[in-house]
Amino acid sequence: MSLNPKETAVKALEISLNKGCQAARISLNIAKQCSYSVRNDKLDRLQQSTGSSLYIQLYVDSRYGSFSTNRTEADEIGNFIGKGIEATRLLTPDPYRRLPDKSLYYTGGGADLEQYDNSVESIEPAEKSRIAFACASEVLGKDKRVITVNSEYGDTDDYFYMIDSQGFEDESSQSTFTVSTECSVKGRGDARPEAWWYESTIFFNDLKIEGCGTKSLERALRRLNPKKLKSGKYNMVVENTASSRLISPIISALNGASIQQNNSFLKGMLGKQVFSPSFTLFDNAHLVGAFGSRYFDGEGVATKPMNIIENGIVNTYFINTYHSQKLGMPVTVDGPSVLNCLMKGNELKKTHKDLDHILSKCNNGIFVTGFNGGNTNSSTGDFSFGVEGFFFENGKILHPIKEMNVTGNIISLWNNIIEIGTDPRNSSRWQIPTLAFELVDFNGI
Amino acid sequence: MTELHKMMAFFGVAREDLLRLIQIALSNGGDYADLYFEHSISNEIALRDGEVNAAGSHIDYGMGIRVVYGDQTGYAYTEITTMKEMEKAAKAASQIATSSIKEMPPIRINPLKFTNFYPIITSWEENPISSKIPFLRNMNSKIFALDSRVNKVLAKISDSTTLILFFNSDGLLAFDERPMASIAATCIMESDGKVENSSSSRSFRTGFEFLTDDLVNEVAKEVVERTAFLFNAIQPKGGELPVVMGAGGSGILLHEAIGHAFEADFNRLNTSIFADKFGKTICSSEISVIDDGTIPGNRGSVNFDDEGVIGQKTYMVRDGVLTSYLHDRISAGYYKTAPTGNGRRESFRFMPLPRMRATYMENGSSSETDIISSVKKGIYVDNFSNGQVQIGAGDFTFYVKSGYLIENGKLTRPIKDINIIGNGPQALADIVAVGNNSVIDNGTWTCGKEQYCAVSCGMPTVLVKKLTVGGVQS
Repeated sequence: MSLNPKETAVKALEISLNKGCQAARISLNIAKQCSYSVRNDKLDRLQQSTGSSLYIQLYVDSRYGSFSTNRTEADEIGNFIGKGIEATRLLTPDPYRRLPDKSLYYTGGGADLEQYDNSVESIEPAEKSRIAFACASEVLGKDKRVITVNSEYGDTDDYFYMIDSQGFEDESSQSTFTVSTECSVKGRGDARPEAWWYESTIFFNDLKIEGCGTKSLERALRRLNPKKLKSGKYNMVVENTASSRLISPIISALNGASIQQNNSFLKGMLGKQVFSPSFTLFDNAHLVGAFGSRYFDGEGVATKPMNIIENGIVNTYFINTYHSQKLGMPVTVDGPSVLNCLMKGNELKKTHKDLDHILSKCNNGIFVTGFNGGNTNSSTGDFSFGVEGFFFENGKILHPIKEMNVTGNIISLWNNIIEIGTDPRNSSRWQIPTLAFELVDFNGI
Repeated sequence: MTELHKMMAFFGVAREDLLRLIQIALSNGGDYADLYFEHSISNEIALRDGEVNAAGSHIDYGMGIRVVYGDQTGYAYTEITTMKEMEKAAKAASQIATSSIKEMPPIRINPLKFTNFYPIITSWEENPISSKIPFLRNMNSKIFALDSRVNKVLAKISDSTTLILFFNSDGLLAFDERPMASIAATCIMESDGKVENSSSSRSFRTGFEFLTDDLVNEVAKEVVERTAFLFNAIQPKGGELPVVMGAGGSGILLHEAIGHAFEADFNRLNTSIFADKFGKTICSSEISVIDDGTIPGNRGSVNFDDEGVIGQKTYMVRDGVLTSYLHDRISAGYYKTAPTGNGRRESFRFMPLPRMRATYMENGSSSETDIISSVKKGIYVDNFSNGQVQIGAGDFTFYVKSGYLIENGKLTRPIKDINIIGNGPQALADIVAVGNNSVIDNGTWTCGKEQYCAVSCGMPTVLVKKLTVGGVQS
């Protein structure tokens, strides 16, 4: 007889404890996905699936093992956990492994974070297909340089349940609706620049379908006939579709594992002025209706809104229970939920600083619309990324650029911040607005 | 009982079930259908702070059903392999087709014959964690012994065994057991208040015989050398420079600059910058580039691909001429050619796409010393991390972890942490010298085109006349 998801997780917890674990955490995720892809004027791909995963974290005789399976029949789970315990017992004891202090758990009672739209189960296939075709139709026949347009409608219905042996139990559901369009155009020579646009929302009725195709076409056409610039220092404006890339190394460097492993350029920086006093990075963890909003983290620890970097001072690391024990530091949360950042004096909703404002303020420079590869040295913060974008002068975009890199150090870069916009896109968990930095090293001719 | 019958029993299906599922999949008039059953078990153990104190095992089980109608694809998968659930998935995938139901000819089941490129001597299943732990402890000791500046070591052994049962509407039936093993180490060193880190890894399709003391010594030595090197290295002055790419991992150039653009799905859609280049000379006649699924034990090898086409060696460029794209069944149908065994997928959750396997360049005639000597001012690079490409524009990048400045034909100052960007067709045409030292890099290369896929790459030393090198201006 098959069990429902909650029963499966509870059963797995019981088995774990009965077979000799002193503590255990079980999480179960069920994800339903559906997508309709259209290429030019016909349906190209149709995908439908339901997947489940059972995650089992075992604490056995001061040892720790982490296991997962999608075979959730009762006898399968029993065998799997039995083998997991056996394997875990062969490891070296690790006294730092334990479940969190119970007083840190989220205990419920929070307002609805509006993460789920029931209509995800009832949208008709014909409507999904219509949406995908509608996006493509905004491109087809609109410009003779168009080679191909691909558009897609997709929705996901995610359910998550977590229980542990200390009594933590909670669940969450998340719906996502996405439309995207990618368009290739032909210019001079062999190049076929492509560009995309997408919209993603938690509620179906919020999904902005109209304009998705048109934006992808505009973005592709404006990439025709790029020029390579001379190497040098340029002001850099980064579009809100790409700006998260410059936050990502900071978040990695604040992670407890990186700090504990001495592999972070922000080690030893807690409470110190590291970045520009104008820069504040915050976690709006309980923002209603925002992607990533949550009341508890992966250990059940309660989240809270907080400033991560406040006026350039490093306010917190992301410390889970294990790294808290190893570092002798208090538990915070395992990572950010809804990230945003702002410039000192720019209060969101009261100030309006969009791309045009920022380009005017910077006057001349390179407007980066995407990063092409590259990496950051986690120990030093040195980075080098390929860029795509445009050269702008007197606040106006002049022409696309090609084959250029931007190189520097993350700490230095964020000390050269000129402006942070008030225009974050809310299609993802990291709502980072348009950013502008002064005199950054670009490499071209 | 044959292996095939054992596998059918393992997945709980009989011949009649396979035929029934294909019949449902094609019930709306699809041209072709395939069934892909998979059971994967993966294990890892990790060493941190001197102790092997974390382990994990993961099981993934399910089957995917694909229906092809012209060049359109319907796909559905299920994690429950009862006939009821599989029939539901087959019905969902069948919806891609909309023509009237065709008369289906009887399917004659035909077991696929193939060469095994990754025989397993000792299975991972037979070797518990306790037999792997000594190798990680040994790795830790070796790394600390090699340099007093070592501060932290992270090391990991991963293994997986994937069982595949494949059946399609042509009657082709096949079973494969695909092992994968890797060992990786990250070293963090501290010296005079400066911290640097680097990593090294090896990965093969092999059984437990993969783990040897020699392998551990090789990885330990490499990771220590790579990390120590960085203390003296700088980010150089950037700009357009000649780039000498050292043998081995420089194959990332082929993967990013041309490999993806040769994948036939992009060419079929006319979105690749190489879409009009078939049969044309695209680079020096000294250059031949291969994508190979037949190298014994290689990470990118396939006995048969994920749509039942046997593993093969494909010349993408022969003597400077573009001779083949990399095909799956759909693109091969479009180009009216045979599939090249490049239809690969991450798991049963994904439909197959044209993907690379082991991509490398054959030997040329120059020695590495002569190539370096020919450069007055440029850089030499030999250790990389991630790469990326824009298929249509052709701009590709890869990140250089370490290398050297070349000044007056000599390697001088160590360099690090720079991105290199170029344009695929131009970079290929700009290769002006090819070394005689081609070698495959056996690190844990993974390609991320829509889904993850194990690959590898290789290259002799080459000189690219001009690429844009990242760096500081002052």
